[in-house]
Amino acid sequence: MKAPVSWMRELADLPASAGVNDIAAAVAGVGFEVAGIEGDVIDFEITANRPDCLSVRGLAREAATAFAVQGPESRVQGLPAVARGAKVGPESEVPVTIESELCGRYALALADVTVGPSPAWLADRLTACGIRPINNVVDVTNYMLLEMGQPMHAFDVARLAGPEIRVRMARAGETLTTLDRQARTLDASMLVIADGARAVAIAGVMGGAASEVSAATTRIALESAWFQPATVRATSKRLGLKTEAAARFERGADLEAATAGLVCALDLLERIGAGHRVGRITDRFPSPGAARTITLLRAHLDRLLGDQVPDADVMRILTSLGFVVTPAHTDWHVRVPSWRVDVAREADLIEEVGRHWGVNRVPATFPALRTAPHRADAGVLRARRIRRLLCGAGLQEAVTFTFIEHVAAEPFAGGPASLVTIANPLSEKFAVLRPSMLPGLLDALSYNRRRDIADVRLFEAGSVFSMQGERQRVGWVLSGSRLVHWSQPAAEVDLFDALGVAELLADAFGVTCRFEPAADAPWCVPGRVASLFVDDGGASRRVGIVGQLLPSLTSARGLPAGVTVVAGELDLHELHGTDAALQRVTPLPRHPSVQRDLSILIDAGLPAAAVRGTIRASAPATLVDVREFDRYHGTGVPTDQVSLSLRLTFRDRDRTLTDVEVQQAVEAIIEALARTHGTTLRGN
Amino acid sequence: MTPMAASSIEDLSRQFRAALDAASSPADLKALRDDFLSRKQGRVTALVKSIATAPPEERRALGSMANALKQEIEQALDARDAAMLATARPKDTVDVSLPARRPWVGRRHPLTQVRERVEDIFMAMGYQVVAGPEIEDDWHNFEALNMPAAHPARDMQDTLYLSSPVPAPDNARAATLLRTHTSGMQIRHMEAHDPPVRIIAPGRVYRRDNFDATHTPMFTQVEGLVVDENISLGDLKGTLNAFAEEFFDAKVATRFRPSFFPYTEPSAELDVECQGCSGRGCGLCKHTGWIEILGCGMVHPAVFEAVGYDANRYTGFAFGMGIERLALRLYGVDDIRMFYENDLRFLEQIAL
Repeated sequence: MKAPVSWMRELADLPASAGVNDIAAAVAGVGFEVAGIEGDVIDFEITANRPDCLSVRGLAREAATAFAVQGPESRVQGLPAVARGAKVGPESEVPVTIESELCGRYALALADVTVGPSPAWLADRLTACGIRPINNVVDVTNYMLLEMGQPMHAFDVARLAGPEIRVRMARAGETLTTLDRQARTLDASMLVIADGARAVAIAGVMGGAASEVSAATTRIALESAWFQPATVRATSKRLGLKTEAAARFERGADLEAATAGLVCALDLLERIGAGHRVGRITDRFPSPGAARTITLLRAHLDRLLGDQVPDADVMRILTSLGFVVTPAHTDWHVRVPSWRVDVAREADLIEEVGRHWGVNRVPATFPALRTAPHRADAGVLRARRIRRLLCGAGLQEAVTFTFIEHVAAEPFAGGPASLVTIANPLSEKFAVLRPSMLPGLLDALSYNRRRDIADVRLFEAGSVFSMQGERQRVGWVLSGSRLVHWSQPAAEVDLFDALGVAELLADAFGVTCRFEPAADAPWCVPGRVASLFVDDGGASRRVGIVGQLLPSLTSARGLPAGVTVVAGELDLHELHGTDAALQRVTPLPRHPSVQRDLSILIDAGLPAAAVRGTIRASAPATLVDVREFDRYHGTGVPTDQVSLSLRLTFRDRDRTLTDVEVQQAVEAIIEALARTHGTTLRGN
Repeated sequence: MTPMAASSIEDLSRQFRAALDAASSPADLKALRDDFLSRKQGRVTALVKSIATAPPEERRALGSMANALKQEIEQALDARDAAMLATARPKDTVDVSLPARRPWVGRRHPLTQVRERVEDIFMAMGYQVVAGPEIEDDWHNFEALNMPAAHPARDMQDTLYLSSPVPAPDNARAATLLRTHTSGMQIRHMEAHDPPVRIIAPGRVYRRDNFDATHTPMFTQVEGLVVDENISLGDLKGTLNAFAEEFFDAKVATRFRPSFFPYTEPSAELDVECQGCSGRGCGLCKHTGWIEILGCGMVHPAVFEAVGYDANRYTGFAFGMGIERLALRLYGVDDIRMFYENDLRFLEQIAL
């Protein structure tokens, strides 16, 4: 809202010593941010709750209160001359009928006019406030809109059928060409002003071109009304038509300003010699309500502000803002002025006092802690641990968008029907909610790769979405070299690096995991993808998938051919397990362990897990560890077989094992392997 | 014992010590050993031989002095030999200026670092950190926060809606939108807990905003809420001043400006003195000397009524801050998109 300071000074006794910048700062200090200052004109930002300050009068009122001087409400002003002779009554040459309760008040006056240009001072003020002068009649309505915040509209009576005014709902499909020369198709939810035949204005939004005031106009019907905010807002939104009038009505205009504004507008018409009123003013006001009165308790004022504003200041501030204050013992009964549509309860009054007393004057205190603080949510702490763990393990945390492209999401979704889509996306790039952490991470990896950063290890923990709901997951992608150093050849990351991240996470949450080949991850290279299972008291839960991404997928996201990307993702809800930090330790062994190495030839297709299982099943409890240390196929090994070397560690808690018993255990293992898998010892 | 003979032994000892100090290599030590102890020309050997010519009554004393000198020299040479061997340069030396083999290490994202910094400050003040869903229902995001349907304040946050509702667990309201602020967590927490309340709720929020240097459709907020008997605007000021001081690690001037949020009354915005110019005015603060960092206010009684709190008995304050805005300040970044590109050349400049 642009307000010339000279205009504000007409309405409030602002100190002559206060310059434009001082006035801007003072009004900003009570809640109206200054967007800019140009010469004498201050552009204030008006928050959605203060339609009364979409007017010079409203801003003058705030400025007067801020400077503690006489303002529009306290200055005695004579009624405009025209008002003295005006009779307000139901009779008029242009009858007014309100057919919808969405119109709360409708005032109409007729005036004979001589249409022409406005005087320079008036045109200049409009221009300064960003409104283009049109002709003296239209300019008068806009002047009143700016000064009082009351939108008005002038119809050419000669172009009204009847002439009469009906405030009614539009008929479905009814059309109206508005002042901006756009043909609008209306619907039955929209309130219109109609004459005897058709709609002539969209109520509170814009008038029609057909009944517009022109050079030929000699008699006008001047409308000053009140429309329900929600209907103006809905209509303005549906038509995509934002106007100065709609901005005021949709936030809540002043019910009392309808007639007051009309009287002032007629006075101004006469003052500039543009015309004069004819007949009575019509005022349709179906259900005038009583002004709201709120009790403000001193105890509540002190409690909420944490400061004691003196009685005199409470009175001064509220009165200057137009409230009618009646002291009652230590408290106050406060009548709310009609233009303060935002003030509905005691807290609103406390804000008024606080804002003009000065929030910065309130002494800073600190709230007492009366109960023991609670520790952070488990999910928050879990995410923190994951981030520290994975950063420590050499992965960089990424932050990617929650909404992604449909094509990027689809390969990772359980099916197109499970994708959560956005009804009003900003663009195709932000159309669906991510079903997995991986598409975003893959794009981040690709972004870096395209900038010649080859070695990328990223992770992100966050929400993923499906039609089943929101879940927390952690995902990671690895690509490039595992280690780059001048002393040795670079080695590319492979699936086992990605699997290792999963193991590390499971370990951190105190759960034991195992991998099994997965067949239901279409985004991975077949045969290079594993499901991660956690065994929990007999039940086995799948908690994640780790695999090598399909080359077709990586190239679709802009990665060059031949770049291997391994990735994994875990569901954090399934990792609740136990808090590893609370796990008890096992006592350290007091007796030496014995190690035996075993090299066996197995079928190439036999999983290492099966070999380990057989070994464990056939070994005594003294076998504490089985670990593969070599896997070889090539010269000396039949083509369909591999040589697997394992290190077996035996140990007893209570005594030192003898060579003989270890030897017996190893032989039993070899025998079981041969029987179960047909393995042979290598070299035998 | 003639003074002559005794003094020549002392001379020899002095000469040896001077030569030993000057020796700097194994070869020097070898030469020194030959010079003093060689069987043929050694100077100590010669001295011992010369004792035979001394008067008989002095020979015994001179003999033991010469022996002591010989032992002293031998021990000193052995010790130096051992010391030189210990510090000798092996053949296969390492060029320490070659690049080291660095362990893998990653960094937390700058937005995470700022967010955790904020969390840590409030945790130390006794706040519970809570988390909630990013897809929300209309009640928690708007209605309960004193923003009924068709409320003009809904325009302040252009909302992204889901094409079809996503069912919520435990038969609660289905999610219909992406939360536009973390304020919904105020409602969720108060619905489930009685006062006193002292929480912060960090998380992602979404608006239908363009993606450019200063806007992003997704950003990170931290919501704060304190509810108890007799919580005042003064308490809000004290808390946020303490936060600003901790966060910026300096005594910073703050300023509260009245503002409007539907769910707080009174409402305010907190400005801190611009760090770029110490309040004198610069491009960073648009020449105002102040940077706006958060919105705050006293909880609106309608919000208490929505969650079933006694609005006469309890008062409270709430605040919400944008992590990106703080991060831009902290890292001196001028394009918000850098936080979402995940460019390693940027991320690797952030503190470990």
